[in-house]
Amino acid sequence: MATRGRGGMDRRTLVKGAAALGASGLAGRRFGGRARAQDAVALEFWDMVWGPPEYIDTGGRLVTQFNEEHPGIAAEYRSTPWANWYQTFTTAIGAGTAPDVSTGAAYQSVQFYDQGAVAAVDDIVAEWESSGTLADFLPGTVERLRFDDHQIALPWAIDIRVLYYRRDLLEEAGVEAPTTWEEFAAAAEAVSGDERYGYVVSGGENGGVHHMLSFFANNAGGLFTPERQLNLMDERNVEALQFFADLVAAGAVHPASAGYSGDDALKAFAQGDAAMILSNPGLEGRLPEIADQIGLMAPLSGPHGDKGTVSWVNNVMLYEQSEAKEEAKQFLMWWSDHLLPLWTEGRTTQIPVRQSIADDPFFDDNENLRFIIENWVPVGQGTGSKAEGIFPVLNEVEGEGVLQTLAQDLLQGRAVAESMQKAEERLAQIVG
Amino acid sequence: MGVRADALGRRSDRVVASGSGGGRRRLDPLPYALFVPSLALILLINLYPFASGFVYSLRDGSLLKAGDFVGLANYAALWRMPDVRYALQFSALFAVCNVIGSYVVGLGLALLLNKDVPGRGFFRVALLLPWIIPSIVSIVSWRWMIADQNGLFNQALGLVGLGPIYFLGSGDTAIFSVIMIKIWRSFPFMMVSCLAALQSIDRDLYEAAEIDGAGRWQSFRDITLPQIAGISVVLWILMTIWSVNDFETPWLLTQGGPSNATENLIVLAYKYTFTRNDVGLGSAIAFLSMLILMVLALVLLRRQEADER
Repeated sequence: MATRGRGGMDRRTLVKGAAALGASGLAGRRFGGRARAQDAVALEFWDMVWGPPEYIDTGGRLVTQFNEEHPGIAAEYRSTPWANWYQTFTTAIGAGTAPDVSTGAAYQSVQFYDQGAVAAVDDIVAEWESSGTLADFLPGTVERLRFDDHQIALPWAIDIRVLYYRRDLLEEAGVEAPTTWEEFAAAAEAVSGDERYGYVVSGGENGGVHHMLSFFANNAGGLFTPERQLNLMDERNVEALQFFADLVAAGAVHPASAGYSGDDALKAFAQGDAAMILSNPGLEGRLPEIADQIGLMAPLSGPHGDKGTVSWVNNVMLYEQSEAKEEAKQFLMWWSDHLLPLWTEGRTTQIPVRQSIADDPFFDDNENLRFIIENWVPVGQGTGSKAEGIFPVLNEVEGEGVLQTLAQDLLQGRAVAESMQKAEERLAQIVG
Repeated sequence: MGVRADALGRRSDRVVASGSGGGRRRLDPLPYALFVPSLALILLINLYPFASGFVYSLRDGSLLKAGDFVGLANYAALWRMPDVRYALQFSALFAVCNVIGSYVVGLGLALLLNKDVPGRGFFRVALLLPWIIPSIVSIVSWRWMIADQNGLFNQALGLVGLGPIYFLGSGDTAIFSVIMIKIWRSFPFMMVSCLAALQSIDRDLYEAAEIDGAGRWQSFRDITLPQIAGISVVLWILMTIWSVNDFETPWLLTQGGPSNATENLIVLAYKYTFTRNDVGLGSAIAFLSMLILMVLALVLLRRQEADER
């Protein structure tokens, strides 16, 4: 996206321009940062919406700061909504109007890398290794974004699922916050009754999938073998889903869960219709009216003593279509070094991947976030566990809907073995 | 008249033949030239997406890669796919229930509004609201009303000691809910169309029937129904097309769930294309639904031709 000297416009440029216009229509707010200098190299940075409106403003300010510190580069910040994100990016890539750099969901980089749209950033990691910067990243976060011996993106944050509970409801039922599966089931059943339930899941969206992946990890199971072979029928997975099915059969899971969206499930939790929920960090901030009643559990011990939950390392990546890759890499490194305001000012609820950010006094005031960093993050595992790293099929496995259907089957009381068998067949088709 | 005759005469000179050299016809290019922009626009808007969609259905591509040419393999695969078979069944159930439900409700209300009842004007407007309200607003509102025990419906059921019913929490109740909400969205169109048809019936027919001693039911059966039969068939076909084609009702309410119970062909095509990244199969499903709709459209055209004759 270098500067252009020609005033005319050929047909190809016109088509690209039209596509860019369309893509920018799909994308959200833009920040120019400052007017582009005539001779500056232009960069497009598309940042997903990772927090409240303050996040977008903070992201825009950071880009402005970058531009001021790098007079030869004019980066433009564009906040990109999650709605139809995949179509937004594929349309842009297909039309040749991809950004130079973007943040993205856990498997976005590997999926686009596999299709030749994202460039490897091995040299950045090599540079970080020699400068010692690499040691600042939380263990496993950089490695998680390797594929086929290449670093295909840089980590910037962790998304994770943790268990919350309602203090008042557990207290009323006379139970403590659970620390094991057994206690979790006992607490859920103790709370349930009179149109109140122990646990709620947003089965109509991805909440059911996240529950399953979290409990697979919690029981040392996983969707894949270390060799990336599909392994849904692993006995630890079967055990985890049987535990879930037993909760449903005991009437301890909210019966509307199969059709619930994420907001529906949160509403049920907020209204006191359900006592426990698996959610992303920062729940107390999203439900301020009951913040003092929200408790954060420690990772549960599974029946064999294992601990775990599902987590994703969110990426920031470089696109092959960029005509200014060196400048884009400069931007990537700068961005990674200047992320702190996204938490302190932007109020994102993601978990930082850099120890220097996690150690900032800002997090001392946030007891729950500190607890998650210290207790939940170390036991987090990706969708592809037990296989290392990420690989392209994970996006389809998680997003295709087969796991969502499996969760919905179980929430409707269908047999575990039969439901899993059906899902296994479909997953085998996807994995190929 | 003279001017008109002159103009017509000159036009006739241009179109038919000229000169004395042997009766060769010379076509006037002007009408064809005027026709070209419209034709080009239609081709661009309709034919290009149609053709490119068909080409996609013959490839195994993704949203980023065109993929290889696979011939009719995607279409052959459709018949082996249980989710496609189920989506076909659900689309048929959804369409049949919606056509019957919306027609019965629409005709019933049209019969009432065709009489001189107090507040008729108000009711005519009020009953159009489900048709007027944007689907995103109405369907999301319905979702709030039926999704959980605190929704309006369960509150109302609670007042009479019933429920709660988690309408979107199981396959059967979700299917029922999706169909009912579609009927609610569709009946105003049926009502307005039936009302227009009812108002075009000659009053003398009813007076003659009354003189002959016919009761209300007999008049309805022997006069009203035959008189509105033509428009009714058109309405049924149109509503079938709109039902098979409906994306927003199942998507906004259930996203096709739970356990794919409310997944119709259009939702399935969307899922294959945009969440499963299989543009070939998604396009093939979309074409399958288009073929069904084309058959229905042909029936509609034939019916209109028969009516005109």
